[in-house]
This record gives sequence, C-alpha cells and structure tokens, in this order.
Amino acid sequence: MQPRCNEKTIVFADETFGEKGDELILLAMKESAKKFGNAKYANTYISGILFGFLRIDKSFLIQSITEHFKEDEVNKEVAELGYEEGHKLENKSFEKLPNTDNELVQKLHLMDGTTACGFGFLAGGCNMITSYPMSPSTGVLNFMASMSKEFDIALEQSEDEIASLHMVLGGWYGGARAMTTTSGGGFALMGEALSLSGMSETPAVIYLAQRPGPATGLPTRSEQGDLNMGIYSGHGPFPRAVLAPGSLQECIDYAYLAFELADRFAIPVVVLSDQYLADSVSMIEDVDFASYEQRRYSVKTEEGYQRYAETKNGISPRGIPAFGDGVICSVGDEHDERGQITEDYKMREQMVAKRARKKSELIKEAIVPEVIGEGDIAIIGWGSTKGSIAEVLDNLKNPRLAQVHFTWVYPLSKEQLQVLKKFSYLIVVENNAEGAFADQLKLHDLKIHKQILQSNGFNFFVDQLGPMIEESLKEIL
Amino acid sequence: MSQLFDKEDVDVAWCKGCGNFGILKLLKEVLEELEVKKNSTVIVSGIGQAAKTPYYIDANMFGVLHGRALPVATGVKLSNENLCVIAEGGDGDMYGEGGNHLIHTIRRNPDIVHIVHNNMVYGLTKGQASPTSQKGFETKVQVEGVKNEPFNPLAVALSLKAGFVSRVNIGDAEHAKEVLKEAFRHHGYALVDILQPCVTFNKTNTYHWFKENTYTLDKSYDAGDFEGAVKKSFETLPMPIGVLYKSRKNTPTFEQEIRGEDAKALHSVTHDIAKIQELFEGY
Ligand SMILES: Cc1ncc(C[n+]2csc(CCOP(=O)(O)OP(=O)(O)O)c2C)c(N)n1
Ligand code: SF4
Ligand SMILES: [Mg+2]
Repeated sequence: MQPRCNEKTIVFADETFGEKGDELILLAMKESAKKFGNAKYANTYISGILFGFLRIDKSFLIQSITEHFKEDEVNKEVAELGYEEGHKLENKSFEKLPNTDNELVQKLHLMDGTTACGFGFLAGGCNMITSYPMSPSTGVLNFMASMSKEFDIALEQSEDEIASLHMVLGGWYGGARAMTTTSGGGFALMGEALSLSGMSETPAVIYLAQRPGPATGLPTRSEQGDLNMGIYSGHGPFPRAVLAPGSLQECIDYAYLAFELADRFAIPVVVLSDQYLADSVSMIEDVDFASYEQRRYSVKTEEGYQRYAETKNGISPRGIPAFGDGVICSVGDEHDERGQITEDYKMREQMVAKRARKKSELIKEAIVPEVIGEGDIAIIGWGSTKGSIAEVLDNLKNPRLAQVHFTWVYPLSKEQLQVLKKFSYLIVVENNAEGAFADQLKLHDLKIHKQILQSNGFNFFVDQLGPMIEESLKEIL
Repeated sequence: MSQLFDKEDVDVAWCKGCGNFGILKLLKEVLEELEVKKNSTVIVSGIGQAAKTPYYIDANMFGVLHGRALPVATGVKLSNENLCVIAEGGDGDMYGEGGNHLIHTIRRNPDIVHIVHNNMVYGLTKGQASPTSQKGFETKVQVEGVKNEPFNPLAVALSLKAGFVSRVNIGDAEHAKEVLKEAFRHHGYALVDILQPCVTFNKTNTYHWFKENTYTLDKSYDAGDFEGAVKKSFETLPMPIGVLYKSRKNTPTFEQEIRGEDAKALHSVTHDIAKIQELFEGY
C-alpha cells in the first residue's frame, strides 16, 4: 500500500500500529471495542468513525447495522459511539463528499458482479447448474443454489470439472438450459467437453471467473489471463462465443445473452469474469427484467428427423428426446446429417463447412465496442477494466483520449474492427502479462501502438493506471 | 426376432464373431419386450467398440467422449426423469477413463441402466490391457504380461451401496436377458457387467474361457443379502453370474432427490420474471 499513499491519503489505524503523523490517524479501536465486552466490535466501531469523519447521514449506518446484526444490539451502540468519535476528528485534507441524492439512491441497487451475472443467467432461463467449486467462480454457484429455493433449478456439485461440463451437455441434450461455473484450472479440465459441445452441436454456457495462473497461481487475486484459453481450448476448430462483461449492467446483459447464443447457435459460450469483477460491489440502476425475452430455439420433431440437417446458415433445428416423434442422434464422432458415424471424406468436408457457416452467422451478432469520448487516441479495454479506464480518462481530461470497451471479445467482426479504424493511435490496456486481446486485434492486421499490461494480481487502480497511460502517450506522441 | 429397434442403412463396424453382436441383439430385444418407446429412450455411450452399440439401434442416442457417458447420462436424466436412460460402453471406457464418474454416479443413484461390455481388453485401440485384464495377459504394451490387480467393478459398486449389481455372460444370452430386464425394472442405478469375448484382440478370454470360468447363481442365492453379495463379489475364477445384489429398499433416485416427485421436464421450465424482478429489487 505504501507506494500508493500521497498527500491526499488518510490512514486510520489502531493506536498500537505506529506513530502519529499527519496522514496517520491513530485510534483506540480495539480498546474502545473491548469496553463493549469483545474486540470483535472493532469493525463496527471503525465504520462509525468513518461515517462520522465523512459526515455521512448517520441514519444509513444505523439502519444497515440494525439489519445486519439483528441478534446483537450492542453493535448499534458501538456504531453510535464510533460516529461521535469520528465526528470530532478534524478533516483537513479530505475533500468534502458530495451531498447524497436520497431519491436516486432509492433507485440504485448495490451488488457485486457475481450477483449481477447470477441475475443475468436467471433472466437467460438457466434451470440447471452443475459445478465443482473454485474461486473466484463459486459465488455464482452459491447464488444459483440460493435461487434454487425460489425457482425450479436443478443443481449438482459434480465430482470434477470434467463431469460438470458433461452433465451440462447431457442437460441441454435433454432440454435443460444448463451452465457450469469454474476458474482457469477447472476450465482446463473442460477442454475436451467443450470440443464435444462444438462437434455434437450441443449448447453449453460456461462462466469462467479468472484468477492469475499458471497452475494454482494466486487463487484469491485477479487477472485477465485466460482469454486465450477461452478462445482456443478444445481440440479441432468449432464455433464458440466469448463474452467479457465489465459492469453490473453488462454482467446481466451478457449472462442472459450467453444462453441466447448457446441455444440459438448450438455452441458453447464462455462468459469471462475475474476475481475483481466478481467480488467488487458497485451500484446499478433499475433493470426491467421483462425486457429480457424468454426465447427457446429447440423444435418439436417428426419421424425421420435429422439432427444435423443441412441448412443455409449451418444451424440445424435442434430436437429434444420425447418432444415429438423423431429420434435425436447427437454425436461427437464426425457424422452425417442423421448423426450416424461417417468417414466419408465428402461428408466430412460438408460438416466442417456447416459448422463454419454457423461461425459466420454468429459473427453477424457481434456487438460493437462502446466508445466513450471524442479523441483520436483509443484506450482499448475489455471485460473488468471498464470502470478503471473510464475513471482514469475522466480524471485526465485529455480531449485526445477516448475509451473503447469490448464486451463481445470473440469472434470479432468487421464492424467491431471498423470502429477502431477511425483512431490515429490504439493503446490496449489488459490485466495480463502477454496482451492476449491485443494479439487478437493484431490477427486482424490492426497496428497496436502501445500495450499497458500488468500481472501483479490486482485490478488496475485508478491512481496507477493514470500515470501508465500518460507515460504511454509520451512514448508514442 | 426383434425388429422395432433395428436401424436401417448402417455399416456395423465389428469383427465377425464379436461378442458385441449378442449384446446388441439382447438390448434391442429387451427394449422391445419391455415396451419402451424409442423416442423416450436415450442411450448415451462413450468411445470404443462397445460404445458403438447405440449407432445400430433406432432410438435417441448421444455418442459422447471416451469415459464420459455416465455424467452425460446423469445430466439427461436430471433434465427429464421420464426418459429411459442407458449408459453403455466398454471396460476401458467405464472403469478406466471414466472411473471417477463411476464412483460418483453410483453415489448419486440416478435411475439409469449402466451396461458395460467387459472384454478384458481395449478392443478399439487394438488390444492393450484394460482395467479388468487378468494378471499375466500379454499385449503389445504389456509385453511381460499385466502386473496390476484386475479392477473389480462388482465389489466397488457394492462398496458404494449400488442398489442393483449384476454380471452376465453374453455366451448365455437367455440368462443375460432376464438379468438385463431386471436391471431395467430396478428403480435407481443398475450395473450390468457383461462378459464379452473380443475375438480379435483377446485370445485368452474367449467364449470357451468365459464358460469354463463362470457359474450361474441359482435360486438358493439371496440377492437381497448385502453382506452375502459383498462376499460373492470377491469370488474370482469361477466368477458368479447373475444378480449379485438387488436392494429391497426403495431408495430415492438422484433426480427425485434434486427435483422432487413428478418434476416437470426442464425443457418446459421457465422462470417467473416478476419474481426475478422482485428479488433484484431486494438489493
Ligand atoms: C481421451 C481419449 N483417450 C484415448 C482414446 C483412445 N481410445 C478409444 S477407445 C479406447 C479403449 C477402448 O477400450 P474399451 O473401452 O474397453 O472398449 P472396447 O473397444 O474394448 O469395446 C481408447 C484407449 C480416446 N478416444 N479418447
Ligand atoms: S476388436 Fe474385439 S471388441 Fe472390437 S469388434 Fe473386433 S472382436 Fe469385437
Ligand atoms: Mg474393452
């Protein structure tokens, strides 16, 4: 933390922590808490101090404390005392907080990315989830488990990630809207099943919350290190989509979209999150869930139904066992239109082409990146960096800069790339060591002028990313 | 002679004389005699010679990856409990590559019939040892003969409290049929390990060898006695043939435990949007 402290930084610490200085406010936190019988009240006490110090309406604090600690009323008293103490402290260097807009606050909802993704998956009609726990993805599994009390959702903790995704495929084959949750290590185990999803044209939704690798890496930290795995894992080429939301609203929209795309194109769809997005709490305005249309793409079959029937766009109507008179033959071997194993070289090429046409059709759905600002220098990001980049550009107030945020990260379309063509300079910001997304752009012959990378396990902090961007500008301009 | 489940216009890729032909015929006959409907029967198979079986049967099928039939079958059953679900494959498929799934599928107890063609060899990949290969079995890989202890699927299934555990010999098709039918009638996970000669890559465990090294459990055997069954499951050479164990308890199945009685097929399950909205407003 120390390198990030400056003249605007105020540190609150317990009196035993060190020597008093301008930026260090030492308080008898533990001792004060102990007066109430237990040192555990220190957290409530410091909350009170912060509210008092920042002059925030006390009623918010008391209301929240009362709700949280129904069993233990002492917390309320502790908070009150903390508030008084905090109020007494002199607030020299700290800017005054803006006034609270009480009306607006009523319209805002406070949650983390995990919860927002969970609501998106619910809106997408998820009614089955099979997962093996792995941080930082487990939150979505927990969320769906809690929702299984409210909705008809079949949930099972699988023996491993191999089973997770195979159960998902069995579920979709049988008519469910199924998903799994995992992080990099678990996703590595899913590569084979992902490939089966591609070949058998069985939909799948995979929520992949990244943490720094390789191997066990930094299990509780954040990184955007698994984009390549999301795009390339699984043997043999097959169409897939990779989506990377960067805000609560995007979490909901793209988690919903994942089910739409998986069902419509009969492909695997990966929703990329990371520890930072999953665990960070922020606010979102009202969401109208009725606007997320509940579409279903499976069909009732007739006798003679062929699972891999040729179509113009490569998408064969997907039947489900016992819905209609047809029999559904889904296959991981190369197959003919019926779903019978074949080694016929012409049929092989026909099926390769059919799957490829699905990809072309999918690309048409690609969503162009959001552009914020008018400048001619693009600060490009994807996924969870959205908020940090926005705030940094806001602070820098450099009219030449514009934020370009990608959420649909794969497969990229001409329209998406066209957006980048109008900029004189492209700077790509990624929370990983090798710049996987910049590499994707380079594959499409875009010249990347500068890459800002980081792999320390944190998200990009605004106070650090600002100077990094300014440094880059010096180098290229 | 069964015809209902015959699939037209297919090339059967098995060697002449292979035990798989008998199993294919057996399964088609049993499905027909039990009057299950083709459009509500799902056969999930892995990869191997055995796993090709559903390609020759006119019913729903999902041909998945080597070792992975069980989790897929579990997912299918979870999505729609009214489907008659079968997981089928070879000894390598189910006991080797898919070994972990075997353990946990038995613990879950979905109402599926688990058919394992046990030819004590990897047929498809041309004759390497399988988990059930007997000690001393020589192959191009196990050049000095198999050293490992053979896997005992019956004892493993029993140790996990499987509700139905059986072994048959396809050389005695009539007996095999009775047992397979009973497996279908059992409510919950049912293991049917079928001894099947691979005439091309296993010259040791032949039709004759299986006949010589097995004996059929007779009427005096009590398949409801768990401890007796455990003891039986450890008998090797000769191997007991028949239903080793059939639980008298009506244990709830995996799908019942998770979704409750008479659950709707997930295909028709949508969520109440107003409720999603309401829960969201709570944040
Ligand atoms: C992941 C994976 N590993 C290896 C293989 C190659 N392979 C296919 S079938 C098989 C073993 C077949 O033996 P078994 O399951 O006993 O079936 P059988 O052919 O004897 O009926 C192997 C090793 C594969 N298809 N996939
Ligand atoms: S290799 Fe063996 S198991 Fe495979 S078809 Fe031939 S005889 Fe049967
Ligand atoms: Mg075998």
